[in-house]
This record gives sequence, structure tokens and C-alpha cells, in this order.
Amino acid sequence: MEGKGLTLWFTGLSGAGKTTLARLIEIELRNRGHKVEVLDGDVVRTNLSKGLGFSKEDRDTNIRRIGFVCNLLARNGVIAIAAAISPYRDIRDEVRRENGAFVEVFIKCPIDVLAERDVKGLYKKAMAGEIKHFTGIDDPYEAPLAPEIMVETDKETPEQSAARIITRLEELQYITASSEPDSYSDEDAEEVRRRLEALGYV
Amino acid sequence: MRLFDRFKAKEKSKRAVLIGLDGTPWTLVERFIKDGTMPNMAKLRAAGSLLQMDTSIPDISSVAWTSFMTGANPGRHGIYGFLDVQPNSYKIYFPSSRHIKSETLWAVANRAGKRAIVINVPSTYPAQPLNGILVAGFVAVDINKATFPASLVPRLQAMDYRIDVDARKVQQSHDALMDDVLVTLDRRVKLLLELYDKEPWDLFIGVVTETDRLQHFFMDAIADAGHKYHSAFRDFYRRIDAFLGQISERLKDETMLIMSDHGFTPIKQQVYLNRWLVDNGYLKLKDNPRSIEDIADGSRAFAMDPGRVYINVKGKYPNGTVESNDVARVTAEIKQGLSEISDNGAKIIKRVYERDELFSGPVVAFAPDLCVQSVYGYDLKGAVNKTQLMDREIFTGMHTQDDSTLYINSPASALRSDKPHITDVAPTLLDALGLGVPEAMDGRSMFR
Repeated sequence: MEGKGLTLWFTGLSGAGKTTLARLIEIELRNRGHKVEVLDGDVVRTNLSKGLGFSKEDRDTNIRRIGFVCNLLARNGVIAIAAAISPYRDIRDEVRRENGAFVEVFIKCPIDVLAERDVKGLYKKAMAGEIKHFTGIDDPYEAPLAPEIMVETDKETPEQSAARIITRLEELQYITASSEPDSYSDEDAEEVRRRLEALGYV
Repeated sequence: MRLFDRFKAKEKSKRAVLIGLDGTPWTLVERFIKDGTMPNMAKLRAAGSLLQMDTSIPDISSVAWTSFMTGANPGRHGIYGFLDVQPNSYKIYFPSSRHIKSETLWAVANRAGKRAIVINVPSTYPAQPLNGILVAGFVAVDINKATFPASLVPRLQAMDYRIDVDARKVQQSHDALMDDVLVTLDRRVKLLLELYDKEPWDLFIGVVTETDRLQHFFMDAIADAGHKYHSAFRDFYRRIDAFLGQISERLKDETMLIMSDHGFTPIKQQVYLNRWLVDNGYLKLKDNPRSIEDIADGSRAFAMDPGRVYINVKGKYPNGTVESNDVARVTAEIKQGLSEISDNGAKIIKRVYERDELFSGPVVAFAPDLCVQSVYGYDLKGAVNKTQLMDREIFTGMHTQDDSTLYINSPASALRSDKPHITDVAPTLLDALGLGVPEAMDGRSMFR
């Protein structure tokens, strides 16, 4: 399938589900024949952005680099999924301006839920002061004002969130609707008709 | 502080269970309580309230269960039958879960963080993602598309779960159909109890459809003590009662509801409304018609199962003939004519509803112009290939609108005293879960 390239930008607090959702979306899009690449913030900081810290300046540099790579990929027909906290609105908007097709996905989850979950044990450390510059604790997070998609991961399962993201991408016509028929296939419809006939409904 | 509140809320939250018995009449449950066929139901009634309930019009499962799950009327949720007509073509299509325009009660519960298990509710196919588990009911074709999450499919297969009774078995014999009904029920109950026990949930909805299948083909058996299948019918309901007992012995402080989506009564005659429309000059059909897709030029109206009548309006349908300023007159004329249909001198039509008497909401434009309601015993049908107005077929039972069942394990003093409607069930369940009722629901909680 000769798909259109796209930058799909996941932003949200640590532990909100960006990586999980990026992987689910990656699988679904691959199954539909798209070329997909995931740029995960945690991974990027071990190579492309190795050595950068968590000051506003370093964070901005990190996001610019991820945005730059996404742009290169998208130009070549790849759906580039960025999964990074990307807490600052101005830099996200800068990436949006630089990149052509850009979809911002706000992975929303209240901080008290994340602190309670604390899958990576980071919130506990941040609250104890052992980690500095932790987004949401002692560093700001600027939520998107008008993201194309918002999912609330404290209220739905990852599968539900992923399904909503895919549906929205279909609506925005970045991807074509699933080849699975909206209702019944012709064959299925015949079976439905036979079953309804057996109960006298046709 | 906020963390503490969350824990507190968790402690307070109550669970709710709904067991659906497709097509079980309230009058039959009352009768089986009195004659000892349903001892568990008798105990439940003694501790709660067993009520007769009105269902949707039309009173068929697709419309009724969708009205249940959305708490809304078809003018909002968009499901008017098992079949519908595409306005731009007359092409028949089968509405699926993707055609439902309203939010389901489990989606509302999910939003509040409540996990739902939803098994065998008709018109939920294909399964849509949810926080919980959903196995779709009638008319589900493929178990893979019927099940969410997909990881449950191997478990269903290992249990030999069956989506539905194969009603075509009746062509072999009534014995073959009865066997299929019993086996399907056993498998269904096994799955329901397993999920009830082993899965976490806040809202558990499990529907049994075998009741409906039995009654379509064996409704004559229960009226007649000498009937070959009289005791088999009764034994079947003993099994239903045993299942209700298995659920009720599991209850801790859950709210429990039992409901049916319509009632049932024996058929005297099937009545083919399209025949009436042809005989009275409103409908013209091509030779050997199979469905309303074979409508011919010059038609002014057509009917769909069960009692839906559509005016063939110019501009709305490709071969529409009725001018928009003439719709009211034609509608009134057909309404009058249908009201007068009789059998051996007795009128068989109870009431003919106009669209706006029944439906309101964003998709009311797709509603039938008239909905015909018959008296008990006269089953309205949409078939187009009949040469006479009335006939009998293999079916012995038909649906009723005013005799559905609603049980709530709360005393009458805790409930409203007016007759419940099927759209009240979803608000009642949300209320039991401690949640507010969305404005898009037409029904009201039964709790005072």
C-alpha cells in the first residue's frame, strides 16, 4: 500500500500510556499495510539525544531532533509515531509548523492516578526529591489546547484508546477505513438473512 | 487527599447484575411461580419486586435490546428492525452494532471507570471495544468479530460456546431443535457463571436467548397440558430457574435485575401487511418478489417486519410517488384502512401509531411512517411473497409489547409505582452503580 506519510505525535505525562499506545497503533497500522516507525522518548535519549538533560533548553533540543526525524520519515511515506512527554506547548507547535502532516494525540491521565500506579517507580522518587525536573512534579506540563485526538487512559483500556485513535485517523482521512466491512460482508449478510428467515423475520 | 477519596469511592461502589431472558413473558413467570416450576424465582420475588414491563414498538429483539442498552427510543438510537431499507435505493440492509447512534450503558459505566461484562446481548455484533468483555448475541456470524477482547476466543472455543440456537434444526424435527436449545443453554450458562466468578466486573450483563427460540416454536405446548412438548417446555424453564438460583446464591450486596425484551403469546394467524397494501392498491411488486427490493413502479407504500409501514415519498425513495404535500392524507387513509382489518368479524388491529407518537430524536427521519400493533394472536409480518392476507406457518408463538418481565431485588417501597418501560432499565442499572443518568437516555431509574 502506498500510504501517505504522517507525524503522529503522542504527548502526555510519564506513565500515561504513550509507549503502550504507540505499540498498539504501530501493530494496527502495520497490519493495514502502512510503513511505521516509532520514536520513543526513552529510547531516543539513549542514542539520538544522548547526553541531553531535562532543562527546558535540552528538552526543546530533544523534541526538535525527534520532530526532524519524523519529518524525514513522513516525507518518505512513513507514519512516524513520536512518543515523548514533550511538555512544552511552544516547541510542539514549532514541530507542527515544520512538519507537513501532523496529528497531535494528547494522552491524558490525572497525575494522582499516575502517582498511584507509578509503574516505573519514578513518581515516588520524584516526590521524595530524588529525581529533579520531573514533569508534573517539579517541572511543568503544558497540555495541548486543541489536539486532534485526546484519549483518557484512566477511563478506558489501551485497546479502547487505540481504537479511538485509529477511528479518528480514518475520519481525518490520513488512513483509509479498515477493509473490514462496516456492517456485514455479502456472505455474512446471506447468513444473517437465512437466520432471520428461520425465525420468520424476512 | 484526592488519593484517599478514590479509595473511599471504591469501597462505596456497588456492583450490578442483569440477567436477560429473551422473550420471557411476565405472565408466564407468574404462572411458573404459582405452579412451582420456578422455586428460585419465587424466592427472588418474595425478596424483591417482579413487574410487568412495556417494551419498545416495534417489539422485536433488535429494537428492544438496543432500547435497553441505550435507554433511548429508536428516534435516537436508530434501530427500527432486523432489516431496514436504504432510502436512496430500497436496498435491504441488516443494521449492526455500528449503526447504533446512542451511547450504550456500558460505555457510560466505562467512562466512570466501571468494568463491564456483556454477554449475548442481541444487536451488539460486531463487538466494539470496551473496558471489560463483550460476546455479541443475535445476529452474530463470526465468533472472532463477536468477541472482545480477541484473547477470549480460544477460551470460548474450548468451552464449545455457541452464539445461538440454530433455528433451522426445526426443519429436521422439533426434537432436533429442542436438543439444540438445551445444549446451547447449557453452554451459555457455563460461560456466564465462569465469567461471573473469575473476571473482575462492576456491571455484569448476561442474556439467555434460548427462551425466545423455544417460544417461537413451542408456544402452543405450554397452553396445552396434553401437548407432546408440554413437560419439555416446563423442564426448560426449570433449568432457567436453576440458573437464576445459581446467580442469586452468588449475590452479596449487588443490585440484581432480571428482564425480558418482550413477551410471547400463541399465534392464531400470521398477517402479511404487504399483501394488504397490494390488495388495496398501495403497493405493486415485481414477479416472484423476494423482498421489498422488488418493489415496482407506481407504489405508494410498503411494509417491513413486523408492523412498519413506509410511505413511498417522492424525493425520499428513488421511485417515490407520493408528493410531500400529500403524505399526511395517504398516511391517514392507510392508517384507517389497516385499523379495520378483521378476522371472522373481529378486529385484529389494536392501534396504529403515527411516527411522531413513538419516535423523537436525531434519526427520526429514518423511522417508519406508521407502526401497526395487533391484538394478541395476530402476528404482523413483512413478507412480500404471500398470496393471502393471513396464514399459518411453522411458528406457534409471537411477541407481545405489554408483557415483558422486570425483576429488581428491591422491595416495591424502594421503586416507582408506575409501569416500567424497557428504556428505564439502563438508568436503573446506572443508578445502582452510583452513576448519574445521561440526558440522552429517555428512561428513568426505577429507584425512588
